[in-house]
Amino acid sequence: MNALDISSVTFSYSGAPVCALQNFSLTVAEGRMQALLGPNGAGKSTLMRIVTGQMKRYSGDVFIFGRKMPDHRALVSIGYAPQAISLYTTLTARENLRFFGTMANLSDRQIIERSEAVLGQTGLADHAEEQVATYSGGMQRRLNLAVALLHSPKLLLLDEPTVGVDPQSRHHIYETLTGLNKAGMTILLSTHMMEEAQRLCSSVTLADKGEMIYDGPMSEIDNLEKFFLAKTGRGLRDD
Amino acid sequence: MIRQLRELIRKEILILLRDRQTILLLFLMPVALIFFMTLALKGVYTDKIYERQIQLVIENESKLPKANLLEQKIESHKLISRVDRPKGIDNERIFAENKAQALVRIPRGFDEGEKPVEINFDPVLDFGYKIAIRSLMTSLTVEVVMGIDNLEVVVANLIVEKTKPNREIPSPLQQTVPAYAIFAMFFIAIPMSIGFLKEKNDGTLQRLFTYTVSTNLLTLGKIIPYYLINVFQFVLMLLVGFYLMPRVIGFSFHLGDHALYLIPVTLVVAAATTGFGVLVAALARTPEQSSTLAATGAILMGVLGGIMVPYFVMPVLMKKLAMISPMYWAHQAYLDIFLRDAALVAILPKLIVLTLFAGICFYIAGRRVQWI
Repeated sequence: MNALDISSVTFSYSGAPVCALQNFSLTVAEGRMQALLGPNGAGKSTLMRIVTGQMKRYSGDVFIFGRKMPDHRALVSIGYAPQAISLYTTLTARENLRFFGTMANLSDRQIIERSEAVLGQTGLADHAEEQVATYSGGMQRRLNLAVALLHSPKLLLLDEPTVGVDPQSRHHIYETLTGLNKAGMTILLSTHMMEEAQRLCSSVTLADKGEMIYDGPMSEIDNLEKFFLAKTGRGLRDD
Repeated sequence: MIRQLRELIRKEILILLRDRQTILLLFLMPVALIFFMTLALKGVYTDKIYERQIQLVIENESKLPKANLLEQKIESHKLISRVDRPKGIDNERIFAENKAQALVRIPRGFDEGEKPVEINFDPVLDFGYKIAIRSLMTSLTVEVVMGIDNLEVVVANLIVEKTKPNREIPSPLQQTVPAYAIFAMFFIAIPMSIGFLKEKNDGTLQRLFTYTVSTNLLTLGKIIPYYLINVFQFVLMLLVGFYLMPRVIGFSFHLGDHALYLIPVTLVVAAATTGFGVLVAALARTPEQSSTLAATGAILMGVLGGIMVPYFVMPVLMKKLAMISPMYWAHQAYLDIFLRDAALVAILPKLIVLTLFAGICFYIAGRRVQWI
């Protein structure tokens, strides 16, 4: 079964002259770590928001483990780490985890156990009682990821998880993601960093200007930069 | 769902409690305003003539029996605090240098009925004091000249004062405690709207929508904590007014005969203040915009609604304009309890107006709010 099936999704923001997503299709097989690659404005974050149920006025279909969105049971199987650090910075890491754990309907016992687990996974166990505002950018990114992992999702959606992160934290995040994928978690990694995509992912979807321009195994592409240039006439880092 | 709601409320309160500026704004500001404004407004409210003594220079040039008796009567009156003229200071300088507020000269020839007593006032002395002193001098002079022992006793048989206690003019504490409690309650719009917009702008709110949390639950999770804080604000200000202020500044605070009516009134006022907060959050786009909108709105409502300038000293036009401010209705509802011992039926129209205000705020906010 596919973890994620996106079929012909079209979406435009109100007042915008062009569609943010145009007839966009994408498939992520269960157990895979797949990259969603594209420059700024390609529609990656919009797609993430649609998949996570934040945006509902789109045409086309989104299926998560065979369930058509919007669906509460499908939502529960998703873990989502947005591009922005979406945490309460005046709360401690543990308080954030308790809050988001309750929102995910975990029991008190589950929250305690899973908090310990994800704090350990992300290397934040020693800083659990500190306010997030005192964290470095890299630590905040790791907590952002920890919150997404808290309710043990089957499908993890990551939107630019290493933006603004120091090499040490980035390495830690890569290690964590590789471990999770090996343990069976499906991961869709939205990024504009080719090295990141090539290092971590076995398949890739290339997006540009709201359209899917390639969806296939990473092994078929020698050089992502050249491949993207050949498909679109512009580089991945161009805005 | 209850667990989620409880956690949403807990989160809001934790965030609020860790924001020192907000705590100062919501709790310390009204206490300071109650303290200073009560002292500042003391003169406006109190029965000035009998609260303060006039510093008076008495110059008896006659030294004859009637003049001496008049001097003695003036000096011993409770309104008067006799002061001596400093050496070398004339009438103009004595007032300019604030050495006295009035000067009475009993000239030679007073006993013979040839010359009248002269009164000289500080030109800037309050008109009420001038009338009181002139009236006092008249009655004391009549007593001396006519040989009456106590004119007030004689007049008491002819004139009886039947004035009812004034139920429209509150004591300074009765004015300031509800006034600045209400004022601070409306300031809840600042942390409330900033919190909402910050969550919206940093993506936390969007993240919440990736869980099985409904917008209704999120709305309740936003409204309930601030509503509870509003109620707590009023209770705290009431305690400050009832227990602390009388000890600090000497005024007593009377709750009135129907203190239990404070419960429905406070619940409705808190709904109106929370409604205002929700409206600001829905209308503003950035935290900066929302704090400007909330502060300006609250100050304007305070100025219009008889919070900063007491309603009873306003001119007629301003009294009519006051009615467009929800703070006016809230303040009057509290004064109904503290001052007028009003029945619940008499307070009800004010509660209806406040409920309508809250309803309109929530309705507009519901139509305008963009969660994502």
